[in-house]
Amino acid sequence: MAESFDPKILYVMCGWCGTGGAETASAYGMYYPENVRIFRVNCTGALSTVHMLRPLLEGADGLVISGCHPGDCHYDDGNFMARRKVALVKTILDSLGLDSDRLWFRYVAHGEARRFVDTAAEFTDHIKSKGPNPLATRSDT
Amino acid sequence: MKGGQVDARGGIQAGITSFLKEALSKGCFDAVMIPTRVPAGDSFAWILTDNEDLVAGASPLPPVMPVQGARALSSITKKGKAPAKIAAVMRPCEVRAAVELGKLKQVDLANVTLLSMDCPGVLELSTYLSDPTKGDSEFSRLLDKWDAESLRPVCRSCTHFSATASDIHLGLLGAQAERLYVMPLTPEGSRVTDALNISADQELDSWQAKVDEVRQKREEQRRKSEVELKERVEGTEKLLATLSTCIGCRNCMRVCPICYCRQCFFDSDALEGEVAAHLSRAERKGSLRFPLDTLLFHLGRMSHMSLSCVECGTCEDACPMSIPVGQIFSHVARRTQELFKYDPGKNRYEPLPLVTYEQDELHDFEQPYVKTYSGKGAADA
Repeated sequence: MAESFDPKILYVMCGWCGTGGAETASAYGMYYPENVRIFRVNCTGALSTVHMLRPLLEGADGLVISGCHPGDCHYDDGNFMARRKVALVKTILDSLGLDSDRLWFRYVAHGEARRFVDTAAEFTDHIKSKGPNPLATRSDT
Repeated sequence: MKGGQVDARGGIQAGITSFLKEALSKGCFDAVMIPTRVPAGDSFAWILTDNEDLVAGASPLPPVMPVQGARALSSITKKGKAPAKIAAVMRPCEVRAAVELGKLKQVDLANVTLLSMDCPGVLELSTYLSDPTKGDSEFSRLLDKWDAESLRPVCRSCTHFSATASDIHLGLLGAQAERLYVMPLTPEGSRVTDALNISADQELDSWQAKVDEVRQKREEQRRKSEVELKERVEGTEKLLATLSTCIGCRNCMRVCPICYCRQCFFDSDALEGEVAAHLSRAERKGSLRFPLDTLLFHLGRMSHMSLSCVECGTCEDACPMSIPVGQIFSHVARRTQELFKYDPGKNRYEPLPLVTYEQDELHDFEQPYVKTYSGKGAADA
């Protein structure tokens, strides 16, 4: 893929740990790629499967979801529920031959600034090497 | 499997109705919900009745499935427990859907006796309507031979054609001429067989052998048809080409027994956009096709109902554009159900996969963290 490809990435984070990681990163003046758009939700468990599907059909080249580590969820089990929904969506995409690797799910704790910027950079490079999302620019989805 | 036998002189359907009639007259239940041929003669509808003559003239195993039985049962018991005992006479996939709807609080099974029977499958609705007489004779041939060529594609590879979570199962396979097997599967089922003085202690080996034989054939067919389906729909291009004829009528959703929402998310204001939003969307995508959000609707619906999908194929019958929705959905459903080791309609007390979790599971879907990523974009202050 040409260097000019600038992927649109949506980074969905929970309001407790995920965004906390981003805050810590900002406190340390860390850098993450500009093409990553952060979207805060109260809990990853509050995400519906349609929230995961729609960006991938409507313009995002990749979607990454970060919530609290297992056992750390502010609401006890939101991240476990999110994991089930991510698994469901990925399985649906896989079984139809659509690209499920444009959806990532990784835990980021409040203090894990390094982990947050690494994930943003790693996912951006991952999507860059994949190229643009074919579904995002098709008119017939 | 243990069970007893009842008389079926006059054919399988007559055997089932006379069993029901006797149960009704002995007070095993107060009413029966059963499919009956419509007066015009070319289709079938559900009736709820305590009239023994109507039950005697009903068609417990119609050649088509215009309305999924679980939907009919939901219409009756959605608002709560039935005040009188109702026997619901359904195909295995309808029983399974009813059990799933019970978990979704759309059916109250508290005062319902579920009655199922071995089901050879059904014919395509449109084919049947074009020539009901031919369809009827083809179906009676199917009841005898149990081959699959003329069935709907999802029925051809259905492996849940026999005993399920019902209270009483009527076995047609492997029974002697003019006999039917009766299997009580729950205490509620035993209550009925006891009242009718049917001793249900006979080992039904010939039934079991025949069921296994048919299941093996169906599994083989399933493997074959899955390869063919993948050939047709797998990948962005093929999937969008297959769905490109979708007119957005939502028939598949409306007839689906599992899709019960009063307001479907995909018909809601959530997907309505302002003019400017549509224009910028068209600009981003180069153009915009209407009806909108076809793929989102189908993928989204899969994410909402595929875990409870019983592969009844009613969606495919209802599609005016002949899109193989039933085959696509059952293909996906098998995978999502496999993911959570969930068999819909098998166990009334097993929770739906999306209302429960285990702490130690699904680690394949967590992206492992490579300690300190040092890719090309990872420069930081």
